[in-house]
Amino acid sequence: MGISCEEVWHDLSDYIDGELNSNQHALFDAHFAGCPHCRAVLDGARNVIHLYRDERVLAMPAAVEERLQETLREHTRSPRRSFLAWGLAAAAALPLAFGLFSILPRLKRRSSSPQRDVPPGTGLVAVSQDEKIKVFHIAGCAKLEGKPKFISVEEALHDGYTPCPYCIGKARQEKNG
Amino acid sequence: MALVRPYQRTVYAMALSSSRNKEDAEDIVQSALLKALSRLSQFRRESMFGTWLVQITINEVRMRRRKDRRIEMFSLGHTPEDKTNYVPKDFQDWREIPSEALERIEIRETLLKALASIAERYREAFVLRDVHDLSIADTATILGISRGAVKTRLHRARLMLREILAPGLSENGRLAWSAREVQKPWE
Repeated sequence: MGISCEEVWHDLSDYIDGELNSNQHALFDAHFAGCPHCRAVLDGARNVIHLYRDERVLAMPAAVEERLQETLREHTRSPRRSFLAWGLAAAAALPLAFGLFSILPRLKRRSSSPQRDVPPGTGLVAVSQDEKIKVFHIAGCAKLEGKPKFISVEEALHDGYTPCPYCIGKARQEKNG
Repeated sequence: MALVRPYQRTVYAMALSSSRNKEDAEDIVQSALLKALSRLSQFRRESMFGTWLVQITINEVRMRRRKDRRIEMFSLGHTPEDKTNYVPKDFQDWREIPSEALERIEIRETLLKALASIAERYREAFVLRDVHDLSIADTATILGISRGAVKTRLHRARLMLREILAPGLSENGRLAWSAREVQKPWE
């Protein structure tokens, strides 16, 4: 049994977004094949999405971007507002740092130095108690020197630590197999 | 700025389609960005930085709209939020617009004008889902509404934009009317 035009209009967006089950989808396909009006509505709605998704539409003009960059530089340059620059770096580092946890179990299995391991299931990173460079590491990192101390990522970022580039490289290698 | 760049089109689109002019839009983006920076301590890791920035921008836009009610006259303000009510008023066959047509400023201006003409709640859902290509779930999170409400608003936005644009954009991407003459078929 087919479906009516009204039913098609009601769920047209769900059809476009692939939110219908396979039976419903097949009913819509059959309706569109025999109804030029609904087909026109579907094509039009798809055109709308296609047009607005184009990067050239609603793009920020270069001059506006330049002025915003300048404003941002002014706000991060001032020593009084230096925490903003730190905050930006921290916000950028957070997704990366949490991404590292996704491969943590595999890295831990390969670790040959148990005392360097992050305690299991804690979601902590390691920082050196002796090293002066403020870098945080994940389990088994060969670049971690001195006595390790385990802290949360938030704490590490808050204290000005940045992710170890060696850990990042290793994480990417592990992720890519 | 590298951190902001992936979201700047969404932020700008949200501001531009809600403003009277490009200067106001730039002002909104700048305010939102500076507010985001000054509130970084409130940033929670559960949300992505971009999501958070877009939320701040939406709040900024809403705040300014409350201050400047004049903009309301351009929008379709009180359409019932029920997709069962929608009946297409135009069945014109609208073939795909050639990509080269978007090089032309009047086409882009028309798209902006059309987007600005629909009510805020529809526009917000449309910008997040169809301009920025966010998932329905992420759009719902940013707007603080249910998935169902996002789907309803998105549905209305797409069909309203189709009805605004389809009669004006011909098969070869030429404009049948200027950006200043955007018509709303339901009015």
